[in-house]
Amino acid sequence: MKSNILRFVLIVCLAVNGACSKYLDIIPDNIATIDHAFAMRETAERYLFTCYAYMPLHSSIPNTPGFSAGDEFWFHNDYQPQGWNIARGFQGVVSPYLNYWQGSNGGKDLYEGIRACNVFLENIRNVPDMPDYEKDRWEAEVLFLKAYYHYYLVRMYGPIPIKRENLPVDAPDDIVKVKRDPVDDVFTYIIELLDEAAAGLPEVIPSDISELGRITKPISLAIKAEVLLTWASPLFNGNADYANFKDKDGSALFNQTYNPDLWERALVACNEAVELCESLGYKLYEYNQSSLIHNVSAEIYIQMSIRNSVAERFNNEIIWANTNSTTSTLQAQATPRGLDPSRLDNGGVNGNLAVPIKIAEQFYTRHGVPISEDKEWHYNERFGIRKATANERYYIEDGYTTSALHFDREPRFYACLGFDGGKWYGQNRFNDQDTWTVYAKKGQAASTIVQHAHNATGYWPKKLVNYQNSIETGNTYTKEDYPWPVMRLANLYLMLAEAGNEANGPSETVYKYLDLVRKRSGLPGVVESWAAHSRIPNKPATQNGLREIIHQERLIELALEGQRFWDLRRWKKAEQELNKPITGWDLAQRTAEGYFRQKTLFNQRFNLRDYFWPVSEAELLANKNTVQNPGW
Amino acid sequence: MNKVYFNNSGRPDTLQRCAPLLLSAVLLLLPLLFPQAVKATHIDQKVSFGSIQQLDVSGLVTDSTGSPLPGVSVSVKDKPLSSTTTDLNGRYSLQVSRGSVLVFSMVGYETHEEVIEDETIVNVILQASTSNIDEVVVVAFGKQKRTDMVGSVTSINPSELKVPSSNLTTSLAGRLAGMIAYQRSGEPGQDNADFFIRGVTTFGYNRNPLILIDNIELSTTDLARLQPDDIQSFSIMKDATATALYGARGANGVILVTTKEGKEGKANVNARVETSVSTPTRNVELADPITYMRLHNEAILTRDPSLPTLYSQDKIDNTVPGSGSLIYPSTDWRKALFKDFAINQRANLSVSGGGSITRYYVSGTFNQDNGVLKVDPRNNFNSNINLKTYSVRSNVNVNLTKSTELALRVSGSFDDYTGPVDGGTSMYRKVMRSNPVLFPAAYPVDADHHFVKHIMFGNYEDGSYLNPYADLMRGYKDYSRSSIVAITELKQDLSFLAPGLAFRGLINTTRHSYFDVSRTYVPFWYQLAGYDRRTGDYNVNIVNPDQGREYLDFVQGPREISSSFYLESALSYNQVFNEKHGLSALLVFIQRQKLEGQATSLQASLPFRNVGLSGRATYSYDNRYFAEFNFGYNGSERFYKQHRFGFFPSAGLAWTVSNEKFWEPLAATISNLRLRGTYGLVGNDAIGDPENRFMYLSEVDMNDSNLRSQFGRNYGYARDGIRVLRYSDQNITWETSKKMNLALEVGLFNKAQLIAEYFTENRSNILQTRAATPASMGLSAQPRANVGKAAGKGVDVEFNYNEAFLNGMWLQGRLNFTYSTSKYLHYEEYDYTDEPWLSRVGYPMDQRWGYIAESLFIDDYEVANSPVQNFGPYLAGDIKYRDLNGDGQITTRDQVPIGYPTTPEIVYGFGFSAGYKGFDVSAFFQGLTRESFWIDPRATAPFNYYLYDGESIFGQPGNLQNQLLKAYADSYWSEDNRDIYALWPRLSTTQIDNNIQTSTWFMRDGAFLRLKQVEVGYSIPTKLAERIRMSSLRIYANGTNLLTWSNFKLWDVEMAGNGLGYPVQKIFNLGLNLSF
Repeated sequence: MKSNILRFVLIVCLAVNGACSKYLDIIPDNIATIDHAFAMRETAERYLFTCYAYMPLHSSIPNTPGFSAGDEFWFHNDYQPQGWNIARGFQGVVSPYLNYWQGSNGGKDLYEGIRACNVFLENIRNVPDMPDYEKDRWEAEVLFLKAYYHYYLVRMYGPIPIKRENLPVDAPDDIVKVKRDPVDDVFTYIIELLDEAAAGLPEVIPSDISELGRITKPISLAIKAEVLLTWASPLFNGNADYANFKDKDGSALFNQTYNPDLWERALVACNEAVELCESLGYKLYEYNQSSLIHNVSAEIYIQMSIRNSVAERFNNEIIWANTNSTTSTLQAQATPRGLDPSRLDNGGVNGNLAVPIKIAEQFYTRHGVPISEDKEWHYNERFGIRKATANERYYIEDGYTTSALHFDREPRFYACLGFDGGKWYGQNRFNDQDTWTVYAKKGQAASTIVQHAHNATGYWPKKLVNYQNSIETGNTYTKEDYPWPVMRLANLYLMLAEAGNEANGPSETVYKYLDLVRKRSGLPGVVESWAAHSRIPNKPATQNGLREIIHQERLIELALEGQRFWDLRRWKKAEQELNKPITGWDLAQRTAEGYFRQKTLFNQRFNLRDYFWPVSEAELLANKNTVQNPGW
Repeated sequence: MNKVYFNNSGRPDTLQRCAPLLLSAVLLLLPLLFPQAVKATHIDQKVSFGSIQQLDVSGLVTDSTGSPLPGVSVSVKDKPLSSTTTDLNGRYSLQVSRGSVLVFSMVGYETHEEVIEDETIVNVILQASTSNIDEVVVVAFGKQKRTDMVGSVTSINPSELKVPSSNLTTSLAGRLAGMIAYQRSGEPGQDNADFFIRGVTTFGYNRNPLILIDNIELSTTDLARLQPDDIQSFSIMKDATATALYGARGANGVILVTTKEGKEGKANVNARVETSVSTPTRNVELADPITYMRLHNEAILTRDPSLPTLYSQDKIDNTVPGSGSLIYPSTDWRKALFKDFAINQRANLSVSGGGSITRYYVSGTFNQDNGVLKVDPRNNFNSNINLKTYSVRSNVNVNLTKSTELALRVSGSFDDYTGPVDGGTSMYRKVMRSNPVLFPAAYPVDADHHFVKHIMFGNYEDGSYLNPYADLMRGYKDYSRSSIVAITELKQDLSFLAPGLAFRGLINTTRHSYFDVSRTYVPFWYQLAGYDRRTGDYNVNIVNPDQGREYLDFVQGPREISSSFYLESALSYNQVFNEKHGLSALLVFIQRQKLEGQATSLQASLPFRNVGLSGRATYSYDNRYFAEFNFGYNGSERFYKQHRFGFFPSAGLAWTVSNEKFWEPLAATISNLRLRGTYGLVGNDAIGDPENRFMYLSEVDMNDSNLRSQFGRNYGYARDGIRVLRYSDQNITWETSKKMNLALEVGLFNKAQLIAEYFTENRSNILQTRAATPASMGLSAQPRANVGKAAGKGVDVEFNYNEAFLNGMWLQGRLNFTYSTSKYLHYEEYDYTDEPWLSRVGYPMDQRWGYIAESLFIDDYEVANSPVQNFGPYLAGDIKYRDLNGDGQITTRDQVPIGYPTTPEIVYGFGFSAGYKGFDVSAFFQGLTRESFWIDPRATAPFNYYLYDGESIFGQPGNLQNQLLKAYADSYWSEDNRDIYALWPRLSTTQIDNNIQTSTWFMRDGAFLRLKQVEVGYSIPTKLAERIRMSSLRIYANGTNLLTWSNFKLWDVEMAGNGLGYPVQKIFNLGLNLSF
């Protein structure tokens, strides 16, 4: 009552002072709210782009586990991407690196992204000035994104809370504090979403110039194949290591029975995807000589096919290129500083993306079989040195002494890696008789001169560098900024081969798709190669043998593309592979004898707990219903 | 009345017995000592029979030394319009009616009242005020006599604020009981002190007091630019009754300043001129270049032996500091950039006076502060800091009728600044991140480059190193700031309606503006290309011919403008009934609006508004019992309709025990004893930052470039995204503070005065971000709510002592002390039932949590056998933390509250002034304690790359390398010297996340005591002054921040964690003050 009297006096005063009683009502009616986002097509489109904006940056070294958190690349103290801390065993619960659950330390906030997707799905039907078919398409794209974000999380964290619908902002505590859903439920839900999405997606992009990079039906089918393949793989399919991983109420988060049907489903999905892609004209990329002034040798031709399958934008092999994650920085880091010795001080070239020796060893010999199996290749002498001859001039500088490891290797080896004495085609030298050579020994142009711009192992990922990039004066490095190929046909073929072998054992179909990939790299078929050159000639005939071959083929074909990281986990081979030392050449040496000595850079350790990353301590404190991953 | 005229001395007990005796002795001596006083009491008996109603009274006003006092206000009690001031000879004349009371008052002296019966000459001796006891105190929307006060208000004599600085806020520390103040930077223009009234009891957005200058709300910078010479009164309001009238805005206390007004009389001119020299109190000591190189190499190898080192043995062997060699450079960047001292000037002039209709006070001030930065003669511009501040003030009062007075107050303050593009602090910070041995600041022009007109700045490799000299010389920034305040006030005496009734109305508008412009060129980098070690010949080549630029370009900085409008009207009533019942009442209406011209969002562009009605009623009985009731009823535009208005009542009681009859025997000893107590509510509506004030509305960014996506073959189609920045919550309202204050005032022998106050505060509804929303909710903004609660309590004490000796010597001493502590009562945080030590509840607002650092790891074996530390890579020599919960790993669960809060809990100051004849001397000490601060391990980590928050350095050099502090070089862990208690852990060229965690390792005690100010002055004798037609002339010299006692030696401890910035300055000053 007192306040009523006061209000009366106040109003009287206001009146006396000539102001109106609405003095404090200053808010105009049309302040932007979330409803405005769906009031017209233009803003709805912005919201669609918002949903896309949470897509992980596939090409970013610091943000992508595949590049920095595994063993495919190595760095040095002067450049320490977030993920490298994980590779060196410093992942922890306080402030996890590449935290995609909470969106910190290099990780995108995927749950925020999923919330945005749900907001979009709740509202898109209300937009007045849009035709239904367009709404269908956008809705399908967002369904895909929602599925992909869940998939990215389940790969990283295992069981995660599924977000079918958004909880209200003021939802009570007990509803907000959700539990983690078992992995089978998560995968089931992802597949559900992808199926729903595929129905509404276009097979081809209507307008290349404005829409390339948007989600299409082939992308959705290929990712569905990958999701099913992941689900069917040992990490998620009846993984006994997680028998005791249970929720607080005792319910199991990992299914304990191996389900062979999942491989069957993966195979069906792969076939579906391959069929659609092939019918739409996707094929394995081959270099087109006609665009070039100089004719090139067969060796360079094959190399170009391999390099450009990744580094030529929107080539006809690429099913999904992420236009929101392009490669300018990545290429600067992949190009050796001093490749052009006259541009030694070009600060635009970093060259600090290094590939460990074990990755170099992984490539086949020129016979298309592993170096340890090739009857003619001197495996035990691989750390010796040898002088190159003119025959090898497209690979190694004529007369240059380099590691024995660099001789008689398959074309993908030379296409993927730059090394001391190795030739490097492109970068303004298009005559293959007169191309660059990487000189990396101490005192040479590409050696460690600048503290922060050097390579820790002696191998540069040449494959990631577009051959047309131009190193110029000053700090200018002009690059063909291609979008990151998240999914290309070779990957899909190899998935098909893997699923086929797992589901039904070796078959012609499996060989066919493996051999298609090998053929592009100038290698004969699997059966033929093994029979002729391997110490284990009938390895492709058994399911286990063929599995090993498929695995290695995948690691080689998709090398340096950030796939190895996930594949090793999926196959549960990480404990084996990521417990080997990271090695490189002895960069401080001036002679070949000294330089080509294997030097351990780091003794990597991978424990069982590292298959799934920790949920941050803050999240566990905020939500006591969330259980931590085992071992953390 | 006699009591006023002399000072007792001696012990209380003897005094009581001997008082009559002493009294008569003194009375006998009096004629000898104070001839004028005797005249005043005896000669004034002449009666002017001519005038029955009106008397022409005149006389002389002197101080206790006999010197005439000019500028004393002489007025007739209860007739404010009939008044005058004494002239430069201390003389006055005034027409008064018989039986009226003449009031003689002047700042710094006790007010004296004289009843005029039929005297025509009334000579008066004013005593220097021993206390503020008879002072009139400015309170919210009015004035009260100190003896009637119930609320808690501390005032300061504005002359104590006269420090040799152009920034008033730097003088506040330790001067006012109840104010916590400290200064973190010494950069001209950026040196505002931080200050809080009775500490900090909120963890909301706004913790600063409300600043009112002549009732107008202004900013800290406006306060900083205020001239002490212009200030009539300076008070801080601390408790609920003092601040409740400000309703929803007063919870953090109020600073109330009024400026001088003119007094009737001839023009009185006062001028002050000062010149001062300022120099850093302490510079951070750096290691020598040789050590730098040695340790830099070590830092590389100790973490990764495979990496190449930066400096060859040849370079280390041949580098000679100070040799000026260009081949083996050793650059003392600090010397290259900074001078040892700067010279600053200040001048102030005021004129006041007036006639019976109009009175005026006009003043002007000019200050010039220079930085210590060097200027390269090759540039044709000056990039040293040169801050000129001007201010003008004109206060005019006009008597429109006998009962109507119009006051017009216009003031403006203006800053003109020229300085380095990124400011002085940034230059200091850059010096701390540049390499001392790779290149000189600039190469001399050699034969190859004789055509070059630009400065050949040094750099290295690809030009990615920081050359702070180039950064300083590459251009300059100008800024202009102005602030204009215009106030019109109308006072109407309504005693024709009812005696004691008056009306007052005030309209004000304030305009602020700021803009800056930078003009810069792009430095050309040169590096050493080759040299002949034997002959010393060398050549240099240019690194960035494509990027460098000789000509200036300009960049427009922020342009800010704001305007505010304020309206206040008040009705007051004041009357004494039956001589014993004092009654007063006040009703105030206010309306306020502020508009920002530089809003970054629609919501920020909307006007800030307040409207309120406040009232006060006081009752006093016989000068013994006092009661007061206040309220504020306020509305703010920030809240949803239902929560827009709040009611803030408060009440208080006081009892002047010494005015009781029974006290009379003690009155000579304890001349004053008074008890006061208040309780009430105050609010704080500034709960969110200006961008976030409409919490009841959601906010959506419809064009968020961070959520941008692009598509198309050449990524040609891109759209920004949409992000919810805030979810709406209609329940959000202001924070509320319940304040209680208990005070004791004791006066001893009329010489010493003690005021001690105890206060408590209980804040609720503090806005805070909800903590417990899991990330899996996917919210893009965290909701907030008024859930926080906090409490504060403390003590503030003020003690003054005055002694005037019979030989004319006088002595004053003063001391004040503030203790204020706070604690969280409710803080929304995670469920810490398992880790109770992590809960904020029960700890102070600025308490920090961190790890207990045990030592450095002695070796890798210890690393392997200790709990796992979850902060990224670490090795032997890195900091080892204590596993508090014993779970085998160091995680956030192992954090505990460490140290004291980062805001000091105790601030104190004490000092004395003394004078004899024309000489005076004073000294003031100031200190604070119960404060902890942290050395920033990221900013000081040797050789590391470090950018301050939000900092961007021109050209984005990739090689920022923190300098090596000498203290670190002297004490660090190395593989050869495994000192596990070394100051710095194992060296590294990159940031070691493990070592930068908040921990006890880098925690330091912020306590210090410093000799804040010393002043010596001499005033020439009055006779001599008169001969040169002046009323007074004083020359003085003073110094600020002369000595500091603290355990912390790396930099000036008052700068706390900000130690690598622009140092706090030590100032020596010479001044002249004259009036005529």
